[in-house]
Amino acid sequence: MDALQRLGAHLETRLGSLEEAKRQGRKVIGYTAGGYLPEELVLACDAIPIGYVRAGDNNILRDAGSYICRWIDPFWRSQIGYLTSRKDLYYSIADLIVVPITDNHARAFSNTIVFYTPEVESFVFGVPHVKDELALGYYLDGLKRLKNKLERFTGIRIGKQGLKKAIELCNRERELFSQISMLRKANGNVVPSRDFIALHHGSFLADKEVMVDVLESYLKEAKKREPSADNVPRVLLTGSTLGDGDTKVLDLIEDCGGMVVMEEFAEGLRPYWTSVGLEDDPMAALAKAYLMERVCPGWFRPGTERLDFLVELVGDYRASGLIWYQLMYRESYKVESYFFPQILKQKTGLNMLVLESEYDTAAELGTMRTRIETYIETIRT
Amino acid sequence: MAYYDELFKLCGFEEKEIEEERPRIEKTLARLGIVPDDMPSAQSWVKQNHDLSLVGVRKLLGAWLKELIDLVLAKDEGKKVVYFGFPAILGPGLMLSASSDDVLVSAPDMVLDHTMGQIFNKLTPILEAGEANGLPPGHALCSLWQAKIGGIIKGMVPMPDLALASSYFCDMGSKADDLVTALYGVPVAYIDGVMDSRWGEYPRYLPQRVSYLGAQINQALKKSEEVLGIEVAPDAWEKSQIDSRGYINNLLKLLDLMRADPVPISVVELELLEALSGSSTGRGIREGIKAMNILISELEERVKAGKGVTEKGAPRVMMASGHTSDPRVTSLVEDAGLAVPLTMVLAQVGGPKHPPKKTYSTPGETIADHELASGPVHGTDAMIKMFQSGAKVMKLDGFIANYLFNCRPASLTSHTQKEYLERTTGLPVLALETDNFDSRTYSAESLRTKVETFAYMLKKRKEASRN
Repeated sequence: MDALQRLGAHLETRLGSLEEAKRQGRKVIGYTAGGYLPEELVLACDAIPIGYVRAGDNNILRDAGSYICRWIDPFWRSQIGYLTSRKDLYYSIADLIVVPITDNHARAFSNTIVFYTPEVESFVFGVPHVKDELALGYYLDGLKRLKNKLERFTGIRIGKQGLKKAIELCNRERELFSQISMLRKANGNVVPSRDFIALHHGSFLADKEVMVDVLESYLKEAKKREPSADNVPRVLLTGSTLGDGDTKVLDLIEDCGGMVVMEEFAEGLRPYWTSVGLEDDPMAALAKAYLMERVCPGWFRPGTERLDFLVELVGDYRASGLIWYQLMYRESYKVESYFFPQILKQKTGLNMLVLESEYDTAAELGTMRTRIETYIETIRT
Repeated sequence: MAYYDELFKLCGFEEKEIEEERPRIEKTLARLGIVPDDMPSAQSWVKQNHDLSLVGVRKLLGAWLKELIDLVLAKDEGKKVVYFGFPAILGPGLMLSASSDDVLVSAPDMVLDHTMGQIFNKLTPILEAGEANGLPPGHALCSLWQAKIGGIIKGMVPMPDLALASSYFCDMGSKADDLVTALYGVPVAYIDGVMDSRWGEYPRYLPQRVSYLGAQINQALKKSEEVLGIEVAPDAWEKSQIDSRGYINNLLKLLDLMRADPVPISVVELELLEALSGSSTGRGIREGIKAMNILISELEERVKAGKGVTEKGAPRVMMASGHTSDPRVTSLVEDAGLAVPLTMVLAQVGGPKHPPKKTYSTPGETIADHELASGPVHGTDAMIKMFQSGAKVMKLDGFIANYLFNCRPASLTSHTQKEYLERTTGLPVLALETDNFDSRTYSAESLRTKVETFAYMLKKRKEASRN
């Protein structure tokens, strides 16, 4: 059984094992996307973190329509749909749902939990939109409140040693993601994007120790693989969100003869480029790594750090094209998609293709295919 | 007499004022592309939409025109220009304005809406210019920002020297400021805040929110000093409060007058004065307060005479605010036979007071605490609770809970607002999706059926309760 098969088998029984863990007194902590909840804090109090990144199904948006208007990003409406409809058991198995408030789309979800599902216990803390000392202080304070909440909720005190151990485990996961990702810098490709994304999505649900083991196996397997042909257009895929179940763009790029060699998304993939320091104050180290050292999402102000990072990735991964995949009504990304192409062209010579989705496959598939086909043809020549 | 004199008189300008201001008026109109042929339709548009029998209303329109002139000519007259995004935490802008006569601080989008929209009826080309330059239609992007970008692109309003970015409420505003920076290199002072209170927490909030937002305001003021080459006066906050106090006192008087049946003034005119205080930090608001003084005297006469804008006994509803550029959208509520005695601003003034948590040593924290206690910047439930308290302030029969489709923080109330208000007040609520700044899609015609049906239901309900 290869690494991905092992991950699949683990996830197949995951709900059952979570139920069992709950019966034994452990708490399941659900949290929303964006990469601002340090799972280390959850692990350090012997609870189980579950990240919510499922999306891509237009039907769930109909469920969400009873609770919120359509002008919110479909990923966050999907979260509302899954929470309220109970169609995904991971959303109802959590003992506590933590919502790091990143932008107004995340607020839609946090409002919904309290107003429409008051039986679900929740906790919110804020993520500033700028990177400076004031913001770091505010974020650290939010993490401390979260730590207190988790300690009260689980009845387990989070000690320095326990937290450092959890940081080491999560650092190992990040390092492995990073090492796997970097294999794609070479000629050919030994890590299909589809695999890499599946590993990310699985990591939000899997047991952390199991996940690290799976990633280690995957890395070994990938290193042994023969690189695929390198004469296909190499694409950098970026955007706000790549939900678990939102495969349309990836499928189309591959169908049209392209190869995604790097993905950059704020939601749906976990930040993996930086490790958390193991200095004296682990809380401060977490805040520094999660807010200041990671590349910021598009809703940060200004968003130039991320745009510069994309330019860097184009060079590092020798991308011959950049596809910007944004969800409808996510205004930060929409506005950036207007002025970034000029910067990209100037700095890399590449043109950019902008795609938008409301998770409406029937309506979007045909036009998306035509646009991707044309784009791939353009960069092939 | 020039081609525009008649219109300016309709808008409350005295002949002497026109004479004194003539060169500035002509330069402004030329820059806006307003020509003699535009006058008949502008006059008719103003007459059709505003109650010009009230001198106070005319003067309010005039106050907006004065703000427009000052804005359009600011750079020509050697001023540094600072833009803030609406709705704004106004404190920093007021302080900059109070610190130097050489700085103009304004919300150009609101000024364009109220003048190029409400007076000249020529907003559409400006919106289209915004759509063509980074903020396309069909994506629920803010139409205020479309007007701002459009106004800049068309050279109607000057390129700012600094943007005070509202990073504490909407995500769109500061990102659109990034757009202006990317295209034109305009420096930005971000005032960041995080709306991370849990639903239901209002009026409580963490002291950390005050500290963070307050420190961000102080930081933005410091950056403003550097960019503009001015010093924020030590007494800038106190000075800026002098005008605000006059305005608040007038609002309290107005609130009292609005208890009358029939309601003495249309929400179309209330909108003119409410929006002015959130958009201008200079001559516009100063003139606006003078206009309010006149208006209040006129309304006192109306109330004494039992005159109003709707029939006596008409169902009374609260509506958050009127339309900024097309008064027909606002009027349709009164046309359907509903009286609107209460808006969000009046409810805020008349509702429960939440005093500052403590005395702060910096203006930033003082402003931040005031804003968090006031509501909208606090969170979604705070916005909705302002409606709830409105029911107690005024004897209401229902609510028109209009939410803006293209403003994310406002659209978060789409469902919860109706359910919460019906549950807590027992009154009927019409949740009405609108665009308060652009009537091309959400026109009066498109909303009429919903409002008329709601009005019919309220009338029948009121009749039944009388019987």
